[in-house]
Amino acid sequence: MNFIALKMLTGDRAKYLGLIFTIAFCTFLLENQTSIFAGVLKRTGSQIADVTDAEIWVMDPKTEYFEQTKALKDTDLTRVRGVEGVQWAVRLFKGSPVARTGDGKFAVSICLGLDDGTLTGAPRKMLLGFWQRLREPDSVVIDKAGYVLLFPGEPLELGRTLELNDHKVTIVGISDPPAPFLSFPVMHTRYSEGVNFVGRERTQLSYVLVKPQPGVKAEELCRRIEAQTGLRARTSEQFQWDCIRYYLKNTGIPVNFGITITIAVIVGVVVAGQTFYLFTVENLKQFGAIKAIGVTNWRLIGMILLQAFTVGLIGFSLGTGMAGQFFDFFSQKIATRGLVLIWQSVALTGATIVFVMIFASILSLRRVLVLEPAVVFRG
Amino acid sequence: MKNGGVMIENKVALVANGWPDIGHETWKSIKRFILPIVAMAALTFGVISVVRSQPRHEATSPPSPPPASSYAQTVAAVGLVETSTENIAVGTEIAGVVTNIFVDVGSRVKAGNPLFSIDSRATRAELATRQAGVQVAEAALAEAKYQLELGQRLADEKVLSIEENKNRGYAAQKAEAQLAQARAQLNSTETDLERLTVRAPVEGQVLQVKVHLGEFAPTGALPTPLVLLGNVDKLHVRVDVEEHEASRVQPGAKAMAAVRGNTDLKTPLTFVRFEPFVVPKKSLTGDSTERVDTRVLQVIYRIEDNKVPLFVGQQMDVFIDANNQRPSLDRNVSMAQPSPHSPGFSF
Repeated sequence: MNFIALKMLTGDRAKYLGLIFTIAFCTFLLENQTSIFAGVLKRTGSQIADVTDAEIWVMDPKTEYFEQTKALKDTDLTRVRGVEGVQWAVRLFKGSPVARTGDGKFAVSICLGLDDGTLTGAPRKMLLGFWQRLREPDSVVIDKAGYVLLFPGEPLELGRTLELNDHKVTIVGISDPPAPFLSFPVMHTRYSEGVNFVGRERTQLSYVLVKPQPGVKAEELCRRIEAQTGLRARTSEQFQWDCIRYYLKNTGIPVNFGITITIAVIVGVVVAGQTFYLFTVENLKQFGAIKAIGVTNWRLIGMILLQAFTVGLIGFSLGTGMAGQFFDFFSQKIATRGLVLIWQSVALTGATIVFVMIFASILSLRRVLVLEPAVVFRG
Repeated sequence: MKNGGVMIENKVALVANGWPDIGHETWKSIKRFILPIVAMAALTFGVISVVRSQPRHEATSPPSPPPASSYAQTVAAVGLVETSTENIAVGTEIAGVVTNIFVDVGSRVKAGNPLFSIDSRATRAELATRQAGVQVAEAALAEAKYQLELGQRLADEKVLSIEENKNRGYAAQKAEAQLAQARAQLNSTETDLERLTVRAPVEGQVLQVKVHLGEFAPTGALPTPLVLLGNVDKLHVRVDVEEHEASRVQPGAKAMAAVRGNTDLKTPLTFVRFEPFVVPKKSLTGDSTERVDTRVLQVIYRIEDNKVPLFVGQQMDVFIDANNQRPSLDRNVSMAQPSPHSPGFSF
């Protein structure tokens, strides 16, 4: 009987392929859009995730996301160090200086000043040069995208100079950190250098990076730091989510992607569901004949679900393959680096396809189950 | 299931009229599997792509270990290394051009050793004048004394009036006083000459020489001291404790300090004293334009480990043991082991 169900399905090649491609493209669209959406939002916390040395970020109590910094007092660092359960705490500077090349090309950049003594948060993924050279005076490590932005069409090489707030700095390394949200160049330097690359401000300590003592939970330590110092303490993960929430709340990104995803779901549900429904309806005669020879309704349900499962699986597989290919290709490009097909998106899309096919099957089943076997014998 | 399927298939063969062609040619059955196989390949590819590209988060350690406290409860602070005499900015009492520098940076001096001297030509010339002045006064005194003696004899012979004789006596007294004055002036000039050579007030090491031959050394408190001096046999560290944390530091509390950039270099510290006056925090970068936003309690500790290579003026990360704090100050920070009599002092 299952064989007949599959035969029915593949018999009408045009409808069969139509169904599969509808589902495949629906899958592709959903996976593509949700993954890009997640990837773009994740970029808002890229620089937080990139600091793998520390687990906790301490900031001004009103800080909502990474870009928004209000400097702390220098002594806040020592106050955080004094909190029980802190293994160590170091400072981190974040500024947005304008980097200018000799040709006059300039770009606003993200400048991270690492603690001079320890270089905590140094970019470990280097394409060229060594982050250890950050200990040299007036040196920066710039990310590849920033380099390409500032020196378009020129080969990656060390030793080039940039001007930052009247300071001449030398590029001693090219790194590959996760892309920031606003595609600014990302520069790493030492704290004492970084504070000079932006205009003089009264206080400069942007963040305190904290590592909990072994056995102390990061969330628990965050609460302690907040209670004792009155500052805001977040784990890396919490802080990344803060950034995502901020951008969700304050930008048009969720609306934009939301519409695309909703339309993808609607189109997927309507078109795939309708095609499948019509397919069943057009085969009512055959179902009638099968009923007429005494096949039970349960068998019929099984047959229709099998058909739905087959087209669903084939379509989903093709769509996932396409999405995989798409992301494999575009994650190599500079502008779209780091955007990958996330498994949550694949799983969610799979669930949606299952839902769509079950929904369409139920609609079809209604017609089949109430079908009079005699219909097949009428004209 | 299988039997049922075969049975029904036979039945269906009877009513095969309306069915699509179910021919059993091999190529058709192969063709039927192309799409599912392609689909499975695509799915496999997709899954591999997902698995391979998932972002990995590996925790790393900082390139150099940051300073960490070895006490359970600690007050952390930043300290500045200074000499046990505090750093003495040696100045000059008399302004002038420097003609001699007797010490180098780093040389050890005893109390009273000369450090540098100011141009003394004018003073020496004055000295010569003063010496001549003394001689003049001496000569004048000798003359006055002779006149007095002569007058005495003449008065005895009633040749000279009593008045004249008395005047000679006063003249001799005056000449004596003038000699004393000239000697005092000579003495004063000699003192000035002595003051032109600046000497070390204490035993110690010369930390800085910011004056050079031919330079003008002004008097008064200078932003850059002419010569910086201090006793480096025992180094102290001046620890800035944030005023909010000040109450957690007990006199005599144990402490340790780590050298910046190499936290393996640690030294125990011994409590010396509190600076009783809480001062506005000075940025340790030495930048004077920075506005003050907090006040700090300064605690002086003595560095116990002489083998740690330290220089005066260096910054250190200091951790003070806050374990022996008064119970009333036991804030609700110790959630791990809540103290029963802790009222919880929340900020």
